[in-house]
Amino acid sequence: MTETEPAPTAIRVVIVEDHALLREGLVALLTEHGIEVVATAEDGPGLLRIVAGHKPDLAICDVRLPPTFTDEGIKAALEARRRLPSLALLVLSQYVEPAYSGELLASGESGVGYLLKERVSEVRTFVDAVRRVAAGGTALDREVVGSLMRERHGTLPGAAIDTLTARERETIELIAQGRTNAAIARELVVTLGAVEKHISNIFQKLDLPATDDDHRRVLAVLTYLRATGG
Amino acid sequence: MSERRSALSRTLTIGTVALAPPFVSLGLLLLFIWALTAGGGYFWPMWPYWALLAITALRAVHVWDHSRPEERRRPFDALIGYGAVWSLGLIAIWGMSGGHYFWPVWPMLGFLIVLGTPWIWGRSRTNRKLEVRVDELTRTRAGAVDVQASELRRIERDLHDGAQARLVALSMQLGRAEDRLAGKGADAGDVDLVRQARLEATAAITELRDLARGISPPVLADRGLEAAVQSLADRTGSNVTVNAEIDHRPPPAVENAAYFVVAEALTNAAKHSPGAPVRVTIWHEHEELGIVVADQGLGGADPAGSGLTGLRQRVEALDGWLEVRSPVGEGTTVRAILPRS
Repeated sequence: MTETEPAPTAIRVVIVEDHALLREGLVALLTEHGIEVVATAEDGPGLLRIVAGHKPDLAICDVRLPPTFTDEGIKAALEARRRLPSLALLVLSQYVEPAYSGELLASGESGVGYLLKERVSEVRTFVDAVRRVAAGGTALDREVVGSLMRERHGTLPGAAIDTLTARERETIELIAQGRTNAAIARELVVTLGAVEKHISNIFQKLDLPATDDDHRRVLAVLTYLRATGG
Repeated sequence: MSERRSALSRTLTIGTVALAPPFVSLGLLLLFIWALTAGGGYFWPMWPYWALLAITALRAVHVWDHSRPEERRRPFDALIGYGAVWSLGLIAIWGMSGGHYFWPVWPMLGFLIVLGTPWIWGRSRTNRKLEVRVDELTRTRAGAVDVQASELRRIERDLHDGAQARLVALSMQLGRAEDRLAGKGADAGDVDLVRQARLEATAAITELRDLARGISPPVLADRGLEAAVQSLADRTGSNVTVNAEIDHRPPPAVENAAYFVVAEALTNAAKHSPGAPVRVTIWHEHEELGIVVADQGLGGADPAGSGLTGLRQRVEALDGWLEVRSPVGEGTTVRAILPRS
């Protein structure tokens, strides 16, 4: 049932969430899975304070925070990363906004995640995403990836992406979410070999160099997505 | 209108019929005397006839004036009635006295001046009152629309931060319960029961999100029209280019209306001409916000369709206008102009 998890290294996490029930739930959930939550905060200034104080590996951050409940979470997260460039960011949002994911992706080299809030209920997938992002990887919500794909699909004249089969398209969306081959195989109910074949086809069709490294693979896909977006 | 006519005819009937028996008898008597005395010479009874008719007409005007409901009575109506009777009477005298020089023009002119001056004065006062009233209505309507827009944003916020946050917490608890049960090697049916509950909660969150987006998209409140329209274009999935130049944010009501114009136009384009290139242009000039959404699709959209009619009402509530041109084979263009304040 488990993803191909990296050996649980000690990940130090801070959580910024104004809703107490969610904040405590997140702390409990992560603690249960051996992830150390070193501090929590309720707003943007709180995030900057605990990041400065604890130098965590990862900040998990709600987009909407007091006082205005708009996009302080994103702003605070980006500011925290400016001050601590090694900080990985996992932003949780009530809604999907491709613009936010673009800002996060553009903000630096360390790990980035952008997930819908309710993904926390898929506990194992969520914990995997936390580990992946903390390790410098990427976790984009399937909704975000879907809309990025549609966007690129629309703006590329005679796009190479049009040549992808439906299966290959599903595969690349899962890659873009940061999934491993094993996870993709499970999701699509196919063999690992079939997934590898899809991926090599995708890289060939999109003229992308294939590598073994998951993270670079995701970055390659995202670079492609961003580069073709204008 | 018909009520008014019936009132008029009723009063004329009363005014004339009540006087008819004595007047007709008197008239016949005069005619008889004239026939006996003058033997067909100068028709002098026309003068008493004139007097009788004048009395009848004045009475008719009086009865008509007083028979109308109070709210329908305007101060000058009766005066105009009396004036008309008086003028007709003068013209009759002029005719009966042999015509020639049309002297009744002078008293009639005098009457017009006497009557006209206060009428014009009253009219301009009414106009001023109307202007004040229109100003007041414009202001209060704009206020109401603004309040409504802010309220919608508040509702959207409450949905996200209230009900949705609770549902997320619920689904997270269910997810943890499922995880623990599975970890303890519990009965597969039990695990499945909790998973079903979690999926239900997640489905409710999705529905709530769609509902909130329909009310007022969060990115619009957070980032403004330009970002929201760009996001809309990204979502639509057809070939959409956005060209927006908005230097400062219009009020919420205007932003909302502009957003929904673009949203509806893009939805229509995606539905009727999937894949056709669409260009969205938004600009602001002279305190007006202009929006053009033009697709190169099939055209032939019905401007009276419910979606477009709803949009038009939304735009007109802000004193803007919306135009839809959709010639068959030439694509559809939706244009809207919204005052920015």
